[in-house]
Amino acid sequence: MAVRTFAAIDVGSFELSMKIFEFSGKNNMKEIDHIVKRLALGSDTYANGKISIDKLEELCRTLKEFSRIMKSYRVDAYRAYGTSAIRETKNNAIVLDQIEQRTGIRIEVLSNSEQRFLDYKSVASKGETFRKIIVDKTAIVDIGGGSIQISLFDNDTLIATQNLKLGVLRVQERLNHLNAKSGQMESLIDEMASAQLSTFKKLYLKDRTIKNIIVVDDYLSSWAVRKFGKDVNKSIVGIAEYEKIMENMRTGSRSQIASMLDIAEDKVPLMFISTVILRRTALLMGTENIWAPGVTLCDGIAYEYAEKNKLLTGEHDFEKDILACAVNISKRYMGSRKRAETLDDITQTIFDSMKKIHGLGKREKLYLRLAAILHDCGKYISMVNLGEDSYNIIMSTEIIGLSHIEREIIANVVRFNHSPFLYYGQMGGRESMLSTNDYLVIAKLTAILRLANSLDRSHKQKLKGVKAQLKDNDLVLTVDTQEDITLERGFFEERTEFFQEVFSVRPVLKQRKQF
Amino acid sequence: MAEKDFSNPAYYMNRELSWILFDNRVLSEARDKSIPLFERLKFLSITASNLDEFFMVRVASLKDMVNAGYDKKDIAGMTPKAQLEALSTAIHKLAEVQYSTYNRSLLPQLEQNGLHVIKSHEELTPEEAAFVDQYFEENVYPVLTPMAVDSSRPFPLIRNKSLNIGALMRKKNHDEDLDFATVQVPSVLARIVELPADGETRKVILLEEVIERNIQKLFLNYDILCAHPFRIMRNADLTIEEDEAEDLLKEIEKQLKKRQRGEVIRLEIEDGMDKRLLKILRKELGVEEQNIYAIDGPLDLTFLMKMYGLEGFSHLKTPKYEPQPVPELPAGCNIFDEIRKGDILLHHPYQTFTPVVEFIRQASQDPEVLAIKQTLYRVSGNSPIIAALAQAADNGKQVSVLVELKARFDEENNIVWARMLEKAGCHVIYGLVGLKTHSKITLVVRREEDGIRRYVHLGTGNYNDATAKLYTDVGLFTCSESIGEDATAVFNMLSGYSEPLKWNKLSLAPLWLKGRFLALIEREKKHAEEGRPARIIAKMNALCDPDVIKALYEASAAGVKIDLIVRGICCLKVGIPGVSENITVRSIVGNFLEHARIFYFENDENYEIYCGSADWMPRNLERRVEILFPVERQELKEGLLHILQNQLRDTVKAQVLQPDGSYEKVDKRGKESFNAQEAFCEEAVAHAMEGQEEPVTSRRIFIPEMPQDI
Repeated sequence: MAVRTFAAIDVGSFELSMKIFEFSGKNNMKEIDHIVKRLALGSDTYANGKISIDKLEELCRTLKEFSRIMKSYRVDAYRAYGTSAIRETKNNAIVLDQIEQRTGIRIEVLSNSEQRFLDYKSVASKGETFRKIIVDKTAIVDIGGGSIQISLFDNDTLIATQNLKLGVLRVQERLNHLNAKSGQMESLIDEMASAQLSTFKKLYLKDRTIKNIIVVDDYLSSWAVRKFGKDVNKSIVGIAEYEKIMENMRTGSRSQIASMLDIAEDKVPLMFISTVILRRTALLMGTENIWAPGVTLCDGIAYEYAEKNKLLTGEHDFEKDILACAVNISKRYMGSRKRAETLDDITQTIFDSMKKIHGLGKREKLYLRLAAILHDCGKYISMVNLGEDSYNIIMSTEIIGLSHIEREIIANVVRFNHSPFLYYGQMGGRESMLSTNDYLVIAKLTAILRLANSLDRSHKQKLKGVKAQLKDNDLVLTVDTQEDITLERGFFEERTEFFQEVFSVRPVLKQRKQF
Repeated sequence: MAEKDFSNPAYYMNRELSWILFDNRVLSEARDKSIPLFERLKFLSITASNLDEFFMVRVASLKDMVNAGYDKKDIAGMTPKAQLEALSTAIHKLAEVQYSTYNRSLLPQLEQNGLHVIKSHEELTPEEAAFVDQYFEENVYPVLTPMAVDSSRPFPLIRNKSLNIGALMRKKNHDEDLDFATVQVPSVLARIVELPADGETRKVILLEEVIERNIQKLFLNYDILCAHPFRIMRNADLTIEEDEAEDLLKEIEKQLKKRQRGEVIRLEIEDGMDKRLLKILRKELGVEEQNIYAIDGPLDLTFLMKMYGLEGFSHLKTPKYEPQPVPELPAGCNIFDEIRKGDILLHHPYQTFTPVVEFIRQASQDPEVLAIKQTLYRVSGNSPIIAALAQAADNGKQVSVLVELKARFDEENNIVWARMLEKAGCHVIYGLVGLKTHSKITLVVRREEDGIRRYVHLGTGNYNDATAKLYTDVGLFTCSESIGEDATAVFNMLSGYSEPLKWNKLSLAPLWLKGRFLALIEREKKHAEEGRPARIIAKMNALCDPDVIKALYEASAAGVKIDLIVRGICCLKVGIPGVSENITVRSIVGNFLEHARIFYFENDENYEIYCGSADWMPRNLERRVEILFPVERQELKEGLLHILQNQLRDTVKAQVLQPDGSYEKVDKRGKESFNAQEAFCEEAVAHAMEGQEEPVTSRRIFIPEMPQDI
């Protein structure tokens, strides 16, 4: 196989970075260059909501340089992602267009959940160690500037993920407000962290302990790389050793800490915050080991690219993670697991049999499955206003690995499962986020979910073994059941109209009684 | 036993005085009768140009300190004022020896060998005088600018480092008042004027004598009373020295406005100058007594380098050495193929520098090469490397060149070719603010079948094909992946990007290198304490970093055997009981300028050898970008160890530091005479021969072609 070269660019809040990767042969991914430029875009965005002209200049200049470097490696493709600094810029559409015009580099904006998912993928890209670690109960603690993301693993599947507003910059900002003395720092940070973390514990952990923490950050990770070298498998620190680092940080002066950890002095305060938060998290979870694989977003971007282009066959099933997270969300809102499973089954059957008609792909099928799993979460709030409530719950719950738009699609599918379908232009402004294409996906998935939903109207999972077959313009659904399906048949008839409108295919329900 | 204070100033030598000792060692070469006569002229010339530079940089800097009222003591406990006083004495003594060498030793020898230097124009025969006068009128007179001082014309500006003739004169038929006049000896004309030969002996006279003889012609309305050459050195137009501590820099900046720019820090006059003339000069130039040097002979001995260049006399010069081909890199080979076979070490000037130029030239033309990156510090005029880099950019390669504009005395030159490279399409970067980039590294990125491969050249000397014939340096070619990664990171850093998380093999100043050296020394110390073998051999140009010296003292006290080969300044003292008894220091001054930095650490019988661009000086370790690289291939390690061992064996050019701070030639009793530089020359020749396959034509047996079908 020819060698392919790929550039991953991360336009972050404090740094611009680019990694160049080389893919040769199957599953051979090698980093060949890593370029980092300090540029605090975040400080502008967080303060004024806009990126200043100076910073934009600097950003363009650096991206042009990046482009030159990419050329020198003759890269085959690149992906550039902007994170919170770009995301939270009010005029980001204008800024991004300007950047593209001036540098030729197109920056796509990542939502928090997408970004965290890529971070997670970057950890997963470390293969063997990752797989070994997540056999035990494990949490990924992804510490950013604005927030931290804690993701939990159980039986090598990601089951829950939660964003906490405990980013190091944010915490530092608050400490500055408090005018805290250096001696108080640790207990103040601890207090702030504990408040949020204990809620997290109540929600997700109860009495479980989490044996391992995988940390993704700019501080402990780079220290670990320095200390243990580039072999990520070695960078596991026992909690006792971690306490020692903490102790040194408590007693050392800023320059002592900087030289001890071989970091720049101006990074010491943030490193301290990061260390305290991580320690608090570890104590709360009863953690024994902390693994700092030293990965960055760029690794995740490259991993994603390689997966898409079949340059790597990932051993980890990320879709399973997303579904598992959805199941957990549903559980939190007292959704019926059995019913969700039935619905998931039926929707998949219908989706697969309609492939030729709907023209949707694997990703859309995932949306449908997520919609099926989350279809009734709103009833936790109200049985009457089910559609709107479900929509709101989904929109305010982060599902790792999904972009904002993807979440919007799923939330709408769930909403229209219960509420009347609104056509493009009737959505009262909500459609402004959505392209016509997204809208069509919503319509198609809604039609399928509604039909499937009607088949389990009684919520008794009567119609479990549904078979679907497309015959000319009829979609024949055959159910094997001895039970009376009068109720289902009634709802089914009601739902066929919308289905027909969307697909021009008439659903037909057949009952085959086997004796 | 009480803890020894290894930073006690008594254990250290002042660096300026140590430098004077170095110039003395060069001078001792000029006095060495076993050296061909014209080589001795060259050495004497070098002592003079060295001293000029020393004045402009170091003495000027000390003056600045005194003017700024900065009286922090140096490593040896001396205030700037005390240093200046000690230096004045030492330099006067040095100058005395310079001229006694010239007058008593070299001039008679030249005479014996058929070259007569006419000391003063009064010695000319009438025929010679006629020739000289004609020469003056045709060549010299048109470029002279005589300047007289009177009530309407102020004292003129005397240019730094220029040679001048001062005269006292009186207006013809006028008053009694004496007037001062001066004329610069034009630097555009040759200092040595050869007279038409009559017979065996060739005769030369110096330009200032020619002018002195004819000075009357410049001031027609005056009577000349006396005329004498003089020369000044100013503390002027100098950027603040990077060698000094930062607090000093701040202090000087504050004082900058008050400071008298252009202050004269040295006045050289011809011995026996008219007292009245000297008085005028002293007053007008504002020179202190201790900074006046009365010279018994021609001022500015650097003309001796020109004398060396006189046609003929080749039997009085060392035959020119031809740098030898490198067998691992035969002419016409593909350098990349050869490097892939294993790391290659080059030892210049014994081995030719051509492969380094060739490396860049081939890279510029190789279709698989993606990028070339290089640091350039001092480059020869008309450099083939620059041409190759420009060519590479033209061929569509990404060429990044770091041009160090701050290279001392070279600034203008550097800007010219930096512009040229930019025009050719190279990406020229100018290094990091406040840090000179002194490292010598080249990176070639090449796309090969299994992905990119990085070829790196690391050296101890500049990428300068001219000095590579005179300076002893080592260079390494490698395509080791870990060094390649580091090299990429070096250039990223030099382009203003962040440092990498981790260095694989290279250690860089200013951030990591010093710590690395201290750790390596510390490790030897630890081994010694544990009773394991411990030894350090280090070769460099200068040693004056207090932290490193302290670490060496501690190691020595712990029992580490330390042998240092330090060409120039050495602030370390040997033979102090309990401090440095296990340390030896030797300096080699020879035909070639010792320039390589090689560091050997025993590491418990698993020795490690490093090479680099940095001396153990604060400026190298703290205020420059420098690279230290390990050499890991066994044969090459042995090669480097061999270099060190040969230098430790040298009995001819080596001088050994004594406990009293002086240097003495090796006591040869019972030892075979051994000249390391000569040995390296011979070895390089032998090595090149081995590598050569016997050419077909040299076979003397002719084999008849056999018909195929009998």
